Amino acid sequence: MTAAALFQSILAGLPEMVVVTGACILLILGQFVRKGQEHFLVWASVAVVLIAALGTLMLAGEVRPAYSGMFIADRFAVFFKIVFYIATVLTFLLSQKYAEIEGIGRSEYYVLLLLALSGMMIMASATDLLSIYVGLELMVLCTYVLTGFLRQQRRSNEAALKYVILGGVSTAIFLYGVSLVYGLIGTTQLDKMAAAATGGPLDPGLLLAVVFIVAGLAFKVGAVPFHMWVPDVYEGAPTTITAFMSVGPKAAGFAVILRVFLNPLVAASNVWIIVAVIAAVTMALGSFVALVQDNFKRLLAYSSIAHAGFAMFGVAAGGADGVASVMLYLLIYTFMNLGIFGTVIMMRNGNFSGEIIEDYAGFAKSHRRLALLMLLYLFSLAGIPPTAGFFAKFYVLVALVERGFVMLAVIAVLLSAVAAYFYIRVVMVIYMREPEGAFDPALTPAVGATLVFTAAGTIGIGLFPAVFLRLAQHAAVGG
Amino acid sequence: MAVPLLSLIVFTPAVGAAALMFMRNDDVVRWTALGVTILDFALCIAMLSGFDTSTYGMQFTETRPWVPTLGITYALGIDGISALFVFLTALLGWICVLASWTAIDRKVKEFMVSLLAMQALMLGVFCALDLFLFYVFWEAMLIPMYVIIGVWGGDGRVYAAFKFFLYTLAGSLMFLIGVIVLYFHGGETFDIRTLMAQDLPFQVQSWLFFAFLIAFAVKVPMVPVHTWLPDAHVQAPTAGSIILAAVLLKMGAYGFLRFSLPMLPEATVHYSTLMLVLSAVAIVYGGLLALAQDDLKKLVAYSSISHMGLVTLGIFTLNLRGLEGGILQMFNHGVTTGALFLFVGLIYERTHTRSIADYGGLMKVAPVYTALLALFALSSMALPGTNSFVGELLVLSGAFAANLAVGAAAVLGALLGAAYLLGMYRKVALGPVSVGLRFKVRDVNAREMAAILPLAVFVLWVGLYPRPFLEIIDASVKHLLAQVHSRGGAQ
Repeated sequence: MTAAALFQSILAGLPEMVVVTGACILLILGQFVRKGQEHFLVWASVAVVLIAALGTLMLAGEVRPAYSGMFIADRFAVFFKIVFYIATVLTFLLSQKYAEIEGIGRSEYYVLLLLALSGMMIMASATDLLSIYVGLELMVLCTYVLTGFLRQQRRSNEAALKYVILGGVSTAIFLYGVSLVYGLIGTTQLDKMAAAATGGPLDPGLLLAVVFIVAGLAFKVGAVPFHMWVPDVYEGAPTTITAFMSVGPKAAGFAVILRVFLNPLVAASNVWIIVAVIAAVTMALGSFVALVQDNFKRLLAYSSIAHAGFAMFGVAAGGADGVASVMLYLLIYTFMNLGIFGTVIMMRNGNFSGEIIEDYAGFAKSHRRLALLMLLYLFSLAGIPPTAGFFAKFYVLVALVERGFVMLAVIAVLLSAVAAYFYIRVVMVIYMREPEGAFDPALTPAVGATLVFTAAGTIGIGLFPAVFLRLAQHAAVGG
Repeated sequence: MAVPLLSLIVFTPAVGAAALMFMRNDDVVRWTALGVTILDFALCIAMLSGFDTSTYGMQFTETRPWVPTLGITYALGIDGISALFVFLTALLGWICVLASWTAIDRKVKEFMVSLLAMQALMLGVFCALDLFLFYVFWEAMLIPMYVIIGVWGGDGRVYAAFKFFLYTLAGSLMFLIGVIVLYFHGGETFDIRTLMAQDLPFQVQSWLFFAFLIAFAVKVPMVPVHTWLPDAHVQAPTAGSIILAAVLLKMGAYGFLRFSLPMLPEATVHYSTLMLVLSAVAIVYGGLLALAQDDLKKLVAYSSISHMGLVTLGIFTLNLRGLEGGILQMFNHGVTTGALFLFVGLIYERTHTRSIADYGGLMKVAPVYTALLALFALSSMALPGTNSFVGELLVLSGAFAANLAVGAAAVLGALLGAAYLLGMYRKVALGPVSVGLRFKVRDVNAREMAAILPLAVFVLWVGLYPRPFLEIIDASVKHLLAQVHSRGGAQ
């Protein structure tokens, strides 16, 4: 490797290096932080992410392939990294008070989140099945630990254990698919795999390999039939980690799915039929099962399954608009989902868990503004204009109809009508019930800032989608 | 056009709603809401005074790019048909504020914010010239309306609010798919004027016609997707009922006029008989149901179904008299049924019962109230000299020209209307005074009078001198018919 190529590689991977280095420094510094000074860790972690974001934006000008074809810093990756940065920074802000209440505000918590971030960033930039695997494992190993971070609670431990076992199996399936690809074509690079697609009938072994890879990735985004871990893990994990997992790792999973599925080899295997079926079943399961949930975190878990299903429709549509629609969907979903999770996290105060939907009865009576924000997030999740959630769904539907998949679009909207029911049921509880006790939300300035930021995104992208749409479209075709 | 008048009309209530959020005193909130709605009404009068009735083209148009990569624009404009409904909406805006002055006594601020937001969105629906923009307004209305029914409604409000929300949402989503399909078939644009000029294959038109039909039929509502209406009406607060009856129901019919007829002319002509039959069923079925009601609000709600059947009947006769009659009847129904819901609300505020059986001899206790009630009841059954007579006569003559059997059904509906309205009036107003009424009921006061009188004026104005109203819509209706028949073939 020449010096110039080495320099190029370092430049391409600079943001990842910043995050990993920052995490290591914080790990050491964390040992010197005294009790009661934990908020220093929050701001230091935020600073690390912001420096990485600055690096990403400054290097966004050109496409940089690096590490002999295993890694690339292109606009597609930049778009996803921005989503990850937003998700991570907001998680940090939400964690500050929550971690104090739950007693989990140690440095490991923040370091693991930063390492998970670096894993996600590698996933977004990876162009080789092996580098994808490295990023994927880095990310999920951190989230396994974070899920079990409430050490004293049984359900947190149970969730972590379930997650590790099921996650391990899915990773094994993914790796098996990768090994089949390598055995049959002799490469794991996405570009070279593309050359193997000759247009003729596909080798059944390759088809099997593709199915294995699809299955492994479907697990990471919580798509049916690999969704079983989602509700338990979401319910058991600390709520801040649930919020993080529902947007960050999910978006990272979709980044990989988009890169892999748009590969001509995968496209030639008519994999879109599988994806379309997965999308429809995922959305149906998420929407219908969410109807009967009493636990807010479980409801949001099924809601996130349903949203993954809707985004999958965009993958099934494919093409430039299909890819852009998934990306825009994930960006918008980050805002509205972190917003609604922010309100759940805020409710955790004293002995009040805020995890049961009935806990919110009559919330609008005492906290008008916060209730209004919840109304905004919930209607956005339901996809009612003029919120951003509507535009996200609208653009996926446009991509579907453009490719002639009108029936898929009809299925998607019918299921989203079902999904609307459980969101407005929560609105009903907030607005149309009488309060049973007093509310004391832990509304710190950091949480308040998060809520304002996510609300601005939810309503702002809804009213002025043009800029964000163009960003997504450029990133999708900018390859 | 220097002043974006339509944007002003649409966004004045929205700005008002935003301003209300920062007020604390309930009375200040009420007066501000009233001021904003009256200002909006004044703007609307200014718009009408500059309205050119001799052309069918869109007037006061504004176009700004919104999402250029998808061909979405922020485009507003009105023709004769929409001008009439913009006016109706602006008129009922301040009447609704007056109607909820004392009826709403808790969370006044939130109520007025919802009411003004609703007003802005409804005006937006009638002014939008871009399908995407139209859909955003159309669908966003669900949020304030859901809250209005669900928070300030009667005992069964939660169920009613859910039913309303899910019915309309499910209908609208099919419309959304239709809109996107239309977008790709019509040259990747959402501009309504461009889409009207497209000549789509019949197959596509048929699919779209039914996709649109689901959305509009739920809103109108047509039998058999009408079941949300009685629940929503009965549970909604008075102002909510007025908005529902007077404006929201018009949107379904407006959708037919704005999209189905001009954009899908072949399918419209092909399926017009089906639509006529559905309308006739709604007229007779709604009338029969109204005949059997004991709840005043339910009676008016079912009569709405019957009357809206007459409107869709007029529209799908696809001849000039039927169409003009149908559109005029939309306006009349807004005025008359809006007033009837207001009357039910007024008496409910006093007695807290809506059961007809509890009333009797109201005339002796509240003479002014009963006299005015008589006027609107007579208007609702289309007595000559009132507004509905003009509209119904036009629709009936159009209906008989189109289809004899359907015309006969419409006449039957009119007879049923006379039966249930006169029956209701006899039981409520005449006879001996019922026990419960003797002490409680006071007559209408000045504020209530201010809400009722303008509606009474329009009942008589349209009834005695309908020309100005027909003139507004005339050019647009003729153009619409030309669009339908030039491409869809003669009936």
